[in-house]
Amino acid sequence: MPTEVIMPKVDMDMASGKLAVWHVAEGETVKKGAALFDIETDKAAMEVEAPATGRLHHILAAPGETVDVGRPVAFIYAEGEAVGQSPAAAPVTAVEEKPAAVAVPPVVAAQVIGPDSADLRATPVARRLAREGGLELASITGTGPRGRIQRADVEAAVARAKPGPVVELARPVVEVPKPVAVVAPAAPITWEAQPGDLNVTTRKGSGVPLVLIHGFAADSYGWRPLEEALPKDQALIRIDLPSHGRSPLRRVDGFADLAKQLVQVFDRVAEGPVHLLGHSLGGGLALALADIRPRQVKTLSLIAPAGLGPEIDGAALNGIARAGSVDSLAPWLKRLTARPDGISHDFAKAAMLARLDPALREAQQELAAVLFPDGVQAFDLTAALSRIAMPTLMIWGRDDHILPWRQALAAPGEVALHLLRSVGHVPHIEDPETVAALIGRHIRG
Amino acid sequence: MMRDTTENIPFAISQFSPAQLREALRKMHLIRLFEEGAEESYMRGLIHGTMHLSIGQEASAVATCMELTDADKITSTHRGHGHCIAKGADVGRMFAEFFGKETGYCHGRGGSMHIADVKTGNLGANGIVGGGLPIAVGAALTAKRLGRDDVTVCFFGDGANNEGAFHEALNMAAIWKLPVIFVCENNKYGMSTAAAYATAVPNIADRAVAYSMPGVTVDGNDFSAVAEALHEAIARARAGEGPSLVENLTYRWRGHSKSDRNRYRTKDEIEEWMTRDPIARFRAELIAHGVLGEAEADAVEVEAKDAVAAGIEFARQSPTPAVTEVTKFVHAEVAA
Amino acid sequence: MNAQVQIDAEVRELSYAEAIREAMAIALESDPAVVLMGEDIGTYGGAFQVTGDLIDRFGPERVMDTPISELGGAGVAVGAALTGLKPIFEFQFSDFAALAMEQIVNQAAKLRYMLGGEAEVPVVFRMPSGSGTGAAAQHSQSFEAWFGHVPGLKVVQPSTPAEAKGLLLAALADPDPVIVFEHKLLYKMKGPVPAGHYITPIGKAAVVRPGQHVTIVASAIMVHRALEAALRLAKEGIEAEVIDLRTVRPLDRETIIASVKKTGKLLCVYEGVKTLGVGAEISALVAESEAFDYLDAPIQRLGGAEAPIPYNPDLERAAVPQSPDIERVARQLAKGEV
Repeated sequence: MPTEVIMPKVDMDMASGKLAVWHVAEGETVKKGAALFDIETDKAAMEVEAPATGRLHHILAAPGETVDVGRPVAFIYAEGEAVGQSPAAAPVTAVEEKPAAVAVPPVVAAQVIGPDSADLRATPVARRLAREGGLELASITGTGPRGRIQRADVEAAVARAKPGPVVELARPVVEVPKPVAVVAPAAPITWEAQPGDLNVTTRKGSGVPLVLIHGFAADSYGWRPLEEALPKDQALIRIDLPSHGRSPLRRVDGFADLAKQLVQVFDRVAEGPVHLLGHSLGGGLALALADIRPRQVKTLSLIAPAGLGPEIDGAALNGIARAGSVDSLAPWLKRLTARPDGISHDFAKAAMLARLDPALREAQQELAAVLFPDGVQAFDLTAALSRIAMPTLMIWGRDDHILPWRQALAAPGEVALHLLRSVGHVPHIEDPETVAALIGRHIRG
Repeated sequence: MMRDTTENIPFAISQFSPAQLREALRKMHLIRLFEEGAEESYMRGLIHGTMHLSIGQEASAVATCMELTDADKITSTHRGHGHCIAKGADVGRMFAEFFGKETGYCHGRGGSMHIADVKTGNLGANGIVGGGLPIAVGAALTAKRLGRDDVTVCFFGDGANNEGAFHEALNMAAIWKLPVIFVCENNKYGMSTAAAYATAVPNIADRAVAYSMPGVTVDGNDFSAVAEALHEAIARARAGEGPSLVENLTYRWRGHSKSDRNRYRTKDEIEEWMTRDPIARFRAELIAHGVLGEAEADAVEVEAKDAVAAGIEFARQSPTPAVTEVTKFVHAEVAA
Repeated sequence: MNAQVQIDAEVRELSYAEAIREAMAIALESDPAVVLMGEDIGTYGGAFQVTGDLIDRFGPERVMDTPISELGGAGVAVGAALTGLKPIFEFQFSDFAALAMEQIVNQAAKLRYMLGGEAEVPVVFRMPSGSGTGAAAQHSQSFEAWFGHVPGLKVVQPSTPAEAKGLLLAALADPDPVIVFEHKLLYKMKGPVPAGHYITPIGKAAVVRPGQHVTIVASAIMVHRALEAALRLAKEGIEAEVIDLRTVRPLDRETIIASVKKTGKLLCVYEGVKTLGVGAEISALVAESEAFDYLDAPIQRLGGAEAPIPYNPDLERAAVPQSPDIERVARQLAKGEV
């Protein structure tokens, strides 16, 4: 049996190690205790010694590769021992660990009760008695320090409300009101349109600014990774779409109406010709903008733009628009990327933070229904794409599960098309360096 | 080659029976193989936390415990696997403890650094340098107070000899003439700090003078030399004449713990000490004096190897403690 | 009063120190495994004359003077307890336990757990503590919260001679390490003490004065200061319920919560430094419990000043809660003025 060479645990908190370099080549001989390979940890490089004397075979990990602790990286054969197939095929079988059986007490969920009259000062017992007595705290005058409502104040109020025999307050005298629900109600919230302009933020820099238009259910925050990859002095203008990010909630009749709303803000912020970049729905809008304001757009960059074919993953759009918690949002966000771990939990949390307002989610669901009824893109921009004349770049991920990359084939020959491997619907998040490099080259001409 | 004249027969060969000597060799192998097995399990990620290996110090552990019975106590150190095995612990339950299992000696609550086996008189390894010194004196006080003739061996390292607890403990053991033997395993370094730098006297055994007890320094890799020193100290303790200090000069082949980069000592020094392997030396001695043949000596090692393999398997198959029992063993269980 | 069970023996007036000595004598007589250890506890009779003449009655083998080696001495007691003796180790002042934290906290408290229940350490540490003697910063501290923070230890604070005896005998009967804080100002206090062996249970507080307007939880000498305050408040028609905590670890949650549910007002009084002290824990446990919905005022604490215990007698008094302080805050609580 050859001696297995494993990735050793060399640090208390180490789960895997990066193989830095082999000191012995495949087939060479090595002495037990001699330096065999180096591991790179975040603290230091560590030399690993050969566990046996013999010839090194079946090197399984190349320099730079990360290997889990305990997994084999090569085998050492004793002198004269026949070298067979790599024995690595038989993995270390983990023994299933069963904790000793012990009765686990059921976890009792704490009852959550919404705050009642949060501005009032009242002692816990006063609050409880008011609740049990069906009294509004706001109707009671507090006689305690700084107007705090105390037990005696509630008792007096109850006595006033219920003339006759003295009521014993230890027990509820009125049906307890139903607790305020903390889960978002199933019934739709009727949201109201808000006044004000669309939210625009800028990053100062030199030269012609790049205007950024985000996709459906995203916001300007989503450009962060790309912004960091772009030259630091690239001036940026970011627009939040209606009912997105920090823009007001607005009703939208259809794609044309949305494009019109965008032209208004574009005219306001674009002082001269600009570079224009849009993603997904924002890509479709950028294309429409370029069609409407051709002289104001120096170059056009489209990342997985909408409007070039009927297919779209309507379930994902609705799922994202509807999700009321990180747990319900995260699975939908995973569809955005090629790899399921492309979206981190922190990102999902940040995304959810921006979507906490149920009215915003409601407005977005309505927008999705208008733009993508029955899961279909209800607007066609292929004609616009053939009309425009400015230099145009299109980037699409080959593993886009939301908008199939084949829709890019609608583009005329002048459009520079880049199809990225192992990238999904959000190339600017999944591979910001490549996208930044392509756009950088494109806008510099 | 040694000649088998009476004068040249090592103490241990003449003092102990062939069966006892064979068992001593087996335990030394068992310690070495146990620690190598633990090290490998650690590298495979099966063991949580760090450990302090005593590979290279096996003669000190086994020879020191040679004349101890289960009634005799030891207190151990953070480098205590050898002491535990030498005192008679089962390697299966030790591995189970290292793997954090319910079947381990401490039911997964202690791990390598608190490994103990109270039933064989091991009061436990200790994560605090010098922590076991006063405790050993207390155990010896119990024996004396209750009129028992058992003794306590207190293992400690060179680092502990500069702790206040060392001086307080030796002084009290001496004034009360308690049956305790302080065994310093001087492996030259307290973590990275050389004993020669950190200690004001050339030999730690020199400290004994300050507490009016015998102090002797021996080659800790020489099984017989250690056994002889302990023989005298134990006899003195059992006779009610009080404590002794024995210093075993030895060396740990491995680093202080698993995160040691060995920056404070040279490869040459480590390799030089590895040529003084206490196990190879003892084995050769037993063969030279006709206690064992080559084949029998090999068989002893195989026996130890099998015990380690079986121990690891036992540990792997054992159940983990229930997380709901995190506070179990904080206090005595009260009958409701 | 629930604790002094099975008292059919005669009841005498003894001082707190005499009561402790009587408990130790009973233990030495009835159990050969019991030994007393400490500095100057033999012929000298202990720094506060608590061991007194026990050396004459039981000899130097069982009433052992140790060298001035708090760490080593405490460790010897731990080792002896681990192997079959039941040592009672006296610190001259609780302050000196700081020298022995290693053996008390790292060893005694954890050995049973570290060894998976295979060992026990039935040691008792007696610690004269508290201020009021003019001994200043290093001889006057109250470390209950320090030790109360350590799982594996039990911590008791008797407030009367009868409790001092009953809790010490309970500590001796306990298979785990117990720390007994004896308040130095109480050593000479006299009170009725039953003869013979009895136990005041560890982990059980006592309602020493019933009342319905405010709950005062206190321990050791603070119980007496709280009772004085309660007496004066009663003349104004305010009935304070006074709870003698007795045990700091494990806390008697039930007694405290039941009282607060009745009064709706809580005042914690303790001599240790106010911040992160025993009263902080009591406040938190009430706030976390079902008693929260019965609170009719913010919980109040009176604790030691955020300073070492000073030498000057006026400063020293000001550094720890006194009876008028308790009276004032309890009155404000009862009247809804806090």
